[in-house]
Amino acid sequence: MDLVSMTPHEHTTAAAGRNLILPACAFIASAVFLPWVGAGPISVARVLHHQSPDYEILVQLRITRTLLALVAGGALSLAGALFQAMLRDALATPYTLGISAGASLGAVAVIAAGWQMVWGIPATWFGALAGAFAVLTLVLGGFSRRREISAFSLLLTGIAVNSVCAACIIILGGYAGMSRTFSIARWLIGSVDSTSFTSLGVLSVVVLVLAVLILSQARSWNLLAVGDQWAASRGVHVPALLRTGYLAGSVLVAGAIALTGPIGFVGLIVPHLVRSKISPDHRLLLPSVFLFGGALLAACDAVGRIVLPPAEIPAGAVLALIGGPYLVWAIRQRRPSEEM
Amino acid sequence: MSTLLEVANLQISYGRRIVLRSATLTAQSGEFLALVGVNGAGKSTLLDIIAGFRKPAAGSVAIAGRNQRDWNLRELSQRVSHLPQAVHADLPYTAEQLVAMGRYPHTDRWFESDEDHSFIREAMKRTHCWEHRHRNFGSLSGGERQRVLLAACLAQNASILLLDEPSTFLDIEQQLHCFTVLREEAKTGKLCIAVTHDLNLALTHCSRVIVLADGIVAYDLPASKAHEEEAWLQLFSSRLRIGTTPAGAPWIWYQ
Repeated sequence: MDLVSMTPHEHTTAAAGRNLILPACAFIASAVFLPWVGAGPISVARVLHHQSPDYEILVQLRITRTLLALVAGGALSLAGALFQAMLRDALATPYTLGISAGASLGAVAVIAAGWQMVWGIPATWFGALAGAFAVLTLVLGGFSRRREISAFSLLLTGIAVNSVCAACIIILGGYAGMSRTFSIARWLIGSVDSTSFTSLGVLSVVVLVLAVLILSQARSWNLLAVGDQWAASRGVHVPALLRTGYLAGSVLVAGAIALTGPIGFVGLIVPHLVRSKISPDHRLLLPSVFLFGGALLAACDAVGRIVLPPAEIPAGAVLALIGGPYLVWAIRQRRPSEEM
Repeated sequence: MSTLLEVANLQISYGRRIVLRSATLTAQSGEFLALVGVNGAGKSTLLDIIAGFRKPAAGSVAIAGRNQRDWNLRELSQRVSHLPQAVHADLPYTAEQLVAMGRYPHTDRWFESDEDHSFIREAMKRTHCWEHRHRNFGSLSGGERQRVLLAACLAQNASILLLDEPSTFLDIEQQLHCFTVLREEAKTGKLCIAVTHDLNLALTHCSRVIVLADGIVAYDLPASKAHEEEAWLQLFSSRLRIGTTPAGAPWIWYQ
C-alpha cells in the first residue's frame, strides 16, 4: 500500500510490523545457525545420516544448549524490561531488587545440599523459585503493610537483600565441601550448558505463558512506566498490575537462572538498546527484547565456545565483558535529572 | 447545565495533620473552577480524592450523579482526567506516544484507531505541541512538557478535567493560552478544575474561585464578583489588594 494513502492506524500497524522483522530474523537465525558453531566442525552430511558423533553433538548438546540460551535470554530480557517499567528506571533489573540474588541463594542451597533432580527437572529450579518468592514476599510484604510501594525504597531494599544473599551464599559455599563449592562457583558465573528436553520443555512452557500474559498488558506497562497516578487516571488498576508484574517477572528470572546461573546484563543491555533504537512503546519493546535477548545470549554462548578452544568461556562471562563497559557508557549518557 | 461533581464533607489526614476537615463543593458542566489556597491547604489532595487516587477518611464524591466508588476504574477514567504536577521522564517516550496514552480508557485495540489519532492530533494542535510530536519527552523544555501533558488530558476527552498547576513552567503567553484552552473546553460542556497560584489568571479566565483554608472550602466566589469581598485575599497575604480593570474585571495587585 502507498505510504501516503495510509491512514494513521494503518501506518502505525505497518511500522510495527517492519520493526519486528529484525528481532524475529535475529532469533530465528540464532536458532538455525548457532548450533553449528563450536570448537569442532560438524558435518551436515553426517548429521543428516544420524552418524556419531556429529549427530549426537548437534542434537543432544548444541541444539538444547542454543534453545536454552534463546528461551532463558528472552525471559531475562523480558523480565528486565518489565522491572524497568515498574520501577521507572531504565537501568533497573530484577538484580537491583534482589530477586535474582534470592533465586541464586535458593539454587546454591540446593546445590550445597546435593539435590540434583526432582521429577526429571533440575532441583535448582525449585530452589531458585523458592528463593525468588522468599525475597519477593519479604520486600513487597514489608511495603504493602504500609500500603505503598516506593520505587526508590524498593531499590534501596534491593541493595540490602543483595548483600545478605551474597553473604549467605559465601557461608553455604564454605560448608559445602570441595566439589560442591566448585559447582557453586561455576554456577554463579552463569553459563548455558546442554540440558534435558524435559527441563527445556517445562521452562519453555512457563516462559511462553508468562510472556503472553505480560505482552497482553503492554498498553498498561506504557502507562505505568510514566507514573502510578498517570496510569490510575487512565483506568489501570495499579496495585493489581504491579502484583502481576512482580510475580511474573520473578518466575521468569527464577526459572531461567535456575538452569543458567545468574546471567545479569542481558536484562539491561537489550531493553536499553531496543528502547533507543526501535521503540520505548511496550507493544513493540516487549516482543523485541524477548527475541533480541534470546539471540544475544545464544550468540554469547556460541562466542564462548569458539574463542579459546578446547576450553569454553561461560556465556555469563562473555556477556559481563560486553555488559560491564556498556553499563558504564549508559550511565554516562544519563542526564543528571535521571540519576535520582 | 447539569451537576457533574458533588463533593460532600471530605475528611483526610496525613498522620496527625488534618488536611481536609470538611470540604464540600458542587460544580456544574460548563464551569471552569480555580482551586486556590496557600501551600499545604489541601488543593492537590482534593484533586487526588476526586480522581480516585486517595480514599478520604470520611465524606463522599459523586461524579455525574453517581457515587465515585460505584464507577469502575475504566468508567471513571472515561469521565475524569487528571493532569499531575510533573511526570517522570526517564523512559524515552515521544510526545505523541504520551498524548496517545490519553486514549487508553476508550479503546481495547492493540494500536490506536484513526479516530484516536484524530483526537491526539487535535489535542496537540490546540496546545501548540504538534510540531514536537516526534521529540523525546525528556528532551523538551519544562513548558513544552507541560503542554504535552495537557494535550494528553484533552485527548482523554473526559467530562471532568482536574489540572494540578497546569500553567507551571509556561511563559506568560503560554499561560494565557493554556487557560484560554481550558475555558473553551468548559464552554463545550465540560467541567475544568485547575489548581493555581496565579490569582489574576484565575480571576480573568475562570468562572468560580474556590478558596481552600483550614481544611474547608472557605470561600466560593463567582470570579466576576471576587472584588466585592476582600476578606478571602487576606488568607494569602496582608499585602494583597483587589480592584477592577478598566473593563470591570477583578484584578489583584500587591503592595
